[in-house]
Amino acid sequence: MQTSLAYRVLCGAIGIAFVAFGVAAFASFFAYHAPDSHLAIPTGPTGFYFVAFTGCAMVGWGGSLLASIRDAATSRRVGSVTAFALVLMAVVRMAGWVVGDYYAWVGDLLRGEAILFLLLALALVWLRPRPTGEPAASAPRAAGASSVGAGS
Amino acid sequence: MILRWAATLVIGALLVLAAWLPDTSIGRRSSDPELRSDVPGAVGEVGGHLPDFTLPDLDGNPVTLSDLRGHRVLLTFERSVDW
Repeated sequence: MQTSLAYRVLCGAIGIAFVAFGVAAFASFFAYHAPDSHLAIPTGPTGFYFVAFTGCAMVGWGGSLLASIRDAATSRRVGSVTAFALVLMAVVRMAGWVVGDYYAWVGDLLRGEAILFLLLALALVWLRPRPTGEPAASAPRAAGASSVGAGS
Repeated sequence: MILRWAATLVIGALLVLAAWLPDTSIGRRSSDPELRSDVPGAVGEVGGHLPDFTLPDLDGNPVTLSDLRGHRVLLTFERSVDW
């Protein structure tokens, strides 16, 4: 029960952060096209197009995580794919840190983010609740496996 | 359970790599302050002379800096892609 609570808190925190980041990224597209705008992201119209696209996707992703809190056991795959995506994001950041093109902008932040994302992915993997009804469904198989093992 | 441990193995390996990256040959150029800083003497001092070099222009013809002596020269460095 405590594991499930920790998993739901984790999904909620990540979901809120993703929605907030997504809304900010979505809004930055319109802020960029406003007159006399000076934004912290050093990119052009093409870059902000993809920033806004990413923002919309992150609102949906964060919303899915928040929705999965309601019934974490049946929505556990949301956490699994989130962990997978966090690993991909960490790989991108590690590569970006090595390339060095982003150092003048964000310094060592990329490596710190990579480590944070990997730790979050690890937490999602290990706090993920068991699927609903798994013990009852797996009990006969487990018993059969043990009897075969005992006989061999 | 096997998938869980497999995922842990992959994530753990990436965590070790992320922590160890500054000490690797590929990560050293990003983490070494000496390599990130300007190399003394590699370019001219402010108010001094640049070392001579030859680079292709937009049409591919070689341009040597010393050939432009006596003219005003504006030297810029730009990325080729707007990222």
